[in-house]
Amino acid sequence: VDFSRLQVSDDVRSFWNEVRSFLTEQLNEEVKEELGRHGTGHSDQFHRALGAKGWIMPGWPLDQGGADLDPMRQYFLALELRRHDASSVPKETTAIVAEVIRRWGADQLKQDLLRQLARGDFCICLGYSEPDVGSDLAAVKTRAFRDGDDWVINGSKIYTTGAQHCRFSLLLARTNVEVPKQRGLTTFLVPLDVDGVEVHPIQTLGGERTNTVFYDQVRIPERNRLGPVDAGWQVLADPLDAEHGIGSSNEHGLDEINGQGASYVEVLRRLFIHALHWATTTQCDDGRRMLDQEPTRIRLARIAVDIEAARSTPGAMGRVIGADILIRGAAELLEMMGPTSLLLQGEDGAVEDGEIEWGHRFAQGTAIYGGTTDIHRNIVAQRILGLPRARPNPTSSQ
Amino acid sequence: VSVLAGDEWLRRNDYSLSEDQQSISRTFADFFRDKCPSSRVRAAEPLGFDEGLWREFLSLGAVSMAGTQTAGQPRVTLLDMALIAEQYGRYLAPLPLIEAIVCVRLLSGFRTAVARDWAVQVASGTRLVTMALQPSQRGRLHLVPAAAIADAAILFDAGELIVVTQNDQWPVVSNQASSPMAWVRNSATHSDRIVIEAGERASRLYAAAIREWKLLMAAALSGLGHGAVQLAVDYAKNRYAFGVPIGTFQAVSHSLVDATIGVEGSRNLTRKAAWFADHEHEAAPGMVAAAYMYAVESATRAATVGVHVQGGFGFTLESDAQLYFRRAEGWPVIAGDPRLELSTIADALASPQPSLKEW
Repeated sequence: VDFSRLQVSDDVRSFWNEVRSFLTEQLNEEVKEELGRHGTGHSDQFHRALGAKGWIMPGWPLDQGGADLDPMRQYFLALELRRHDASSVPKETTAIVAEVIRRWGADQLKQDLLRQLARGDFCICLGYSEPDVGSDLAAVKTRAFRDGDDWVINGSKIYTTGAQHCRFSLLLARTNVEVPKQRGLTTFLVPLDVDGVEVHPIQTLGGERTNTVFYDQVRIPERNRLGPVDAGWQVLADPLDAEHGIGSSNEHGLDEINGQGASYVEVLRRLFIHALHWATTTQCDDGRRMLDQEPTRIRLARIAVDIEAARSTPGAMGRVIGADILIRGAAELLEMMGPTSLLLQGEDGAVEDGEIEWGHRFAQGTAIYGGTTDIHRNIVAQRILGLPRARPNPTSSQ
Repeated sequence: VSVLAGDEWLRRNDYSLSEDQQSISRTFADFFRDKCPSSRVRAAEPLGFDEGLWREFLSLGAVSMAGTQTAGQPRVTLLDMALIAEQYGRYLAPLPLIEAIVCVRLLSGFRTAVARDWAVQVASGTRLVTMALQPSQRGRLHLVPAAAIADAAILFDAGELIVVTQNDQWPVVSNQASSPMAWVRNSATHSDRIVIEAGERASRLYAAAIREWKLLMAAALSGLGHGAVQLAVDYAKNRYAFGVPIGTFQAVSHSLVDATIGVEGSRNLTRKAAWFADHEHEAAPGMVAAAYMYAVESATRAATVGVHVQGGFGFTLESDAQLYFRRAEGWPVIAGDPRLELSTIADALASPQPSLKEW
């Protein structure tokens, strides 16, 4: 147990300064607009600049396009990216798929793609869910048939966030209908710029764009298969576990311990800082600050407790509570700040320039990304509490 | 990034136990598991004290080491004490563990002979001193934890820390937790009313002692919550309804998961609060308050879920679930409304936190 202040060596400090000046330079108004909540959530220019530094896969060796950063330097890089609000979904999904390619890809594919990918030349999105298949992921219906030396893909994927910025999608497809559903799946890397692929935007309550991607007779070479035929479920086991916060170790004692929940807690913390600023600078009718009103104090203190508790909750459990407290907390803050908190960014009198209004909508998505909170509860029930798995009516499967 | 420790983005975030800490945790887990099955908890009711178990516990040295720092020995930290309290709570041990540790720490901080004498006696187990958890008023009666088995009680009265004693024992009052609590009168004419400290230092020491009691109680409650959940999980695996174990139903499993999420976070947050209390109390004001409030809330939910997962059986006295349930509120509420901690936290938030604004 150790929460002491980090002892930052001169070398690390100068790396840290390098990151800061890099970000100050790169994050001009145009890039910030792109990355911000009204942009597309991704800037190709910024992504390439990160890649040139080796900071897409910062822990990878130099000759593979990484920067060979030690855990402390990776910590400061991630910290500054968070502080500058410079996250990008395509960058995150690319990093997930990069590890899948490294583990399961054919040598030629690895040689062709990994270095380029780490250098920021392109991004990769995740093609998991389908219009009719979400939580029961192993029931996907998109088909892949072998045709000579190629595979031919037919079907559709939904919530493929970032597809409009990506050169490839990781795709989970059914290659065998004769076996139980988990054993008939195969994973592919599908180029999105080929005939038969169509990307259709979907707008969300949170303001982000995601996509449906349609695959119609899409032909891809054998070497784009990742892992053995019909072993797609095993291929995805590691990335799914990582996304679900299972098996994360924090062996260096630097990282947040609450998995995907960390980024949700971070959003709530930002909303909270806005609310604290509002409460400190806003007076009520009797001339006192809102921060001195008991109901306001109690609401803020409660959210502070939630934030501390969620940061202390590990793995998949931290993912669940992170989304829960963001959803609850955003609604609390919206009520607390009153009518003007409903005004959209840019409107006259919009409190904290619409930040809380946005947060209240955005929060709802965090109970869904990477598997719903209830799917994560199932994971905790089975893998942490050791409870027996639910056996739903078998006629409904596949 | 924390909101209660404003500069925390430059801190380590390591919740893992060192080998020594793991060893403490294991030692006391083994001790309480072996020595304190639920039959012993039941046998100690309604008083809530098992003298034999107390002697065995004292022989392990946890109380005697709490107050003294022998040269060459590493200091026993609040975190070490919290790890012990987790296991005490996990097995619902009928012992005045938290009161004894907090009072030894408090009394050994004084230079006066009388206070030091009390500290030595509590540490050696020859006498027991407890403390009132709210400021006292002359002539008033106060419900004091462990008073029914104690020789003396520390009260905080009008800026003075006093020790009151009683020739006969204070009689136990029946209560939900089967705890040895008793009414203690702060009598104006009390012959054995010794002032051990006055003024600003008395207030500061009393506030620190209350904070330590809440910290250790938070640890005990996280252990209690884990025990309650474990009992319910075992039941949900083995009890069949509609042809399947009831743990396959999400209405059951998800309530157990939410209870687990609460007690896991509560345990870690309490360990973190203990670390700050040991090393940098000033850096995170409000952390103990947050850990304590969250611990009461989480333990209460876990104990409630624990009762209801067992259905009708959980509502019977035969089920051990009720042992956890009665203590989840019954242990902490003697210190007052846990929600009042929010006011302490709000005070911490209202004080300037420059590093928060850097973000």
